[in-house]
Amino acid sequence: MSENIVILMLGISTFLGALGLAALLWGLKTGQFDDQSKFLDGARFDNEEELRDAVMMEEKRKAQKKKKEKKDAYRPAD
Amino acid sequence: MITETHGEETLYFCCKGCQGVYHLLESEGLDTFYDKLGDTKLQPATQQHDDLEKFDLEGFKNKYIKTTEDGLNEIYLIIEGIHCSACVWLNEKVLHKTDGVIEATINYTNNKAKVVWDPDEIRLSKIIETIRSIGYNAYPYDPALQEERAEKTKKEYYARILVAVFGAMNIMWIAIAHYAGYFTGMEQRFKDILNVAEFILATPVLFYSGWIFFRGAYYGYKNRIVNMDTLVASGALLAYIYSIYAMVSHNGEVYFDSVVMIITFVLVGKYLEVLSKKHAVDTLDSIMGSTPTEVTLVENGEKTLVSVENVTMGDIIELKPGEKVVIDGIVTQGEGSFDESSLTGENLPVLKQIGDPVLSGSICLDSVIRYEATKDASSSLLYSIVSLLEESITKKPRIEQLADQVSGYFSAVILTLALLTFAGWWYFGGAFEEALITGISVIVIACPCALGMATPMATLVGIGMAAKHNILFKEAGYLETMAKSDLLALDKTGTITEGRPSVVNQQTFEGYDENLLYALVSTSKHPVSEGIRRYLEKNGKTFPPVALDAIKIVQAKGVEAVYEGKKLKGGNAAFMQASGIACSDDTAHTLFYFAVDGKLAARFELSDTIREGAKEAIANIQRMGIRVVMLTGDHEASARSVADAVGIKEVHARLLPQDKAALIDTFHEEKHIVVMAGDGINDTIALARSDIAIAMGSGADVAISVSDVVLLDEKPKSLYEAYRISRRTYRAVKENLGFSLLYNTIAVPFAIAGFVNPLVAALAMSLSSLVVVGNSMRIKWLKLK
Repeated sequence: MSENIVILMLGISTFLGALGLAALLWGLKTGQFDDQSKFLDGARFDNEEELRDAVMMEEKRKAQKKKKEKKDAYRPAD
Repeated sequence: MITETHGEETLYFCCKGCQGVYHLLESEGLDTFYDKLGDTKLQPATQQHDDLEKFDLEGFKNKYIKTTEDGLNEIYLIIEGIHCSACVWLNEKVLHKTDGVIEATINYTNNKAKVVWDPDEIRLSKIIETIRSIGYNAYPYDPALQEERAEKTKKEYYARILVAVFGAMNIMWIAIAHYAGYFTGMEQRFKDILNVAEFILATPVLFYSGWIFFRGAYYGYKNRIVNMDTLVASGALLAYIYSIYAMVSHNGEVYFDSVVMIITFVLVGKYLEVLSKKHAVDTLDSIMGSTPTEVTLVENGEKTLVSVENVTMGDIIELKPGEKVVIDGIVTQGEGSFDESSLTGENLPVLKQIGDPVLSGSICLDSVIRYEATKDASSSLLYSIVSLLEESITKKPRIEQLADQVSGYFSAVILTLALLTFAGWWYFGGAFEEALITGISVIVIACPCALGMATPMATLVGIGMAAKHNILFKEAGYLETMAKSDLLALDKTGTITEGRPSVVNQQTFEGYDENLLYALVSTSKHPVSEGIRRYLEKNGKTFPPVALDAIKIVQAKGVEAVYEGKKLKGGNAAFMQASGIACSDDTAHTLFYFAVDGKLAARFELSDTIREGAKEAIANIQRMGIRVVMLTGDHEASARSVADAVGIKEVHARLLPQDKAALIDTFHEEKHIVVMAGDGINDTIALARSDIAIAMGSGADVAISVSDVVLLDEKPKSLYEAYRISRRTYRAVKENLGFSLLYNTIAVPFAIAGFVNPLVAALAMSLSSLVVVGNSMRIKWLKLK
């Protein structure tokens, strides 16, 4: 048996596991597990309407950012 | 009931408010809310408050609103009236549809919402108004409170544990290959691969997950204390460094698996401690959250809203009906009744007139009152209770401090021993490698696992056992204090008895009408009235509504009302005699009389029933050698009769809340360790003074939060079980500590003598940990109930 096979096996399996861990940590950091019951309800209230709502919020955020940039841009030079 | 035809359907509403909410939701296209509700019943929409302007005040803004980098405003709100996930959904949707709101997330578990909005587009008062318009209420809470901090540490620990567990689990299976190779022979080149893989996995665990121990060790070093963290950190770090050396030099075995295991185990133990603390903090926040932050001040006839902190003694404050008092004072104008139930446990409203003191925490019920502040906010009753609670949460139990101290000495001794071993071997043996290996063996073999886990492991099992039987211990250390206690002080009402008087004897005379009596007692919330009402409602009887006029509740006496010209009176003997109605009161029970037009119509005898199993539980506790004492505010005769019924010999009656606390102090002076069980706010001070405070699950919020143990099922039997579990756990702790000390005194000399190599040391250490875990698990064999 060559070392390379062992290295490959160990490396790939650990890497895949690490990916899962990273995803879990990301979810934790962005507060997706903060509310257990909501986490479960997410599945119940998941439909087109929710998607539209999420898009709407995203656009709101973008519009606000744009507005702010515009405001900043118009500021006279100091 | 309001009906409305809507297309083909007929809709029913309980009130105008709910109808309004429905139309609002329909026009926004959110009427699927009603489908999402399922079987959940809604509360009728509440009336509007007129305090909206306060949300836009500068003082409010400085205190609660945070401005983000993007120039957005952010606030944390507690939403009142959420009872199901559909409510969360509705609030979020409505806020999302509001212009200017950038983000709105509501946590269903604790009803806390985070709202981010653009101050150029919408004002906070408008947002609050939106929430109120759909029948909910929102009040701000200060995220700088403990909760936020606790939440953050919890998350931090969680991430660190995830990494540690991931590392540990992967290293475990690599280690299996390693050990297999150790016994069957493995070429060095394969060993190297496994070593490097373990090294890669162990590094983040040691430096990311183990960071907490390094930090603890550093703080310990700064304060010149050697603590458990020092030993964990130094042991793990040295084993890690040695393993790297062994990996590179092909000399000896690697111990990456031990490094990871040490960190993971001890970290999980610490995390569980953090969890229990967070739970306590949540209760505290809900008390603070419901207190107003501003009061209406009257100066030269002008009203202004002033932040609570800025009120000084002598200021005149105006109270509107339904407002909660936050500052103690004396009434100067008007009169009205106050609900003091959250302070005294007395359900009956108290009438306050000019010159009477007003206590913070009480609620003004029916009229507009002006009063003069006699204290500032920080010295008012409500705040002193809350700060007392805060203190008790952050304070470590004595026992835990002692355990930390002992392990601190232990850690210091072991470190010195390891150093001496290393120096001795190097000096006398001359070989650096051998000396280092022996030194590390000493640290690894004595590694705090067994000693460090002795207490947490046993208490963890104990707490889990207790929780399964509806006994909640708020902190691990309380089990030990409770196990050592030798005196139990019991409150009478609500603890030994149910706190709900029920009718034991009834006599009716001419002119008695059940319907009228029912209507009369329904107007009062006094426990006696409720007892009568429950008695009448027995057998599922229902009564037609009767319209009473001129209802008047007379303080500490009874109720009177007029029905179709007939004068109805219900109350105690003194109330009857005051109206010239002759009646006798020669009984040990509480009496309630009902009179129609000055003639006695009925007489009821009520008594408070003793909780089921109280007698057996108290007898069992006494058999454990614990002195049982009853403390009550009630008069001697009724206290004595209850005490005799349950077999308590020592009774202290007619006690005010501070008397109860003073008695607890006397017990302390007699060198007793006191456990106090109570349920009302009148017990709160005594509860806070005792070593272990036990509250009944349905007791006042404040009583539950000062308590260390909560009995959810309220059975006196659980009190006995709590004693048994804590004594059993304490025994296990002592066994564990004894074992680990014995193990160390035998193993450490062997290691110093050089008979043990690090691999055997790690094995021995793991085995000793296993013994501790196994012994702790034996607690579960305890037969309960």
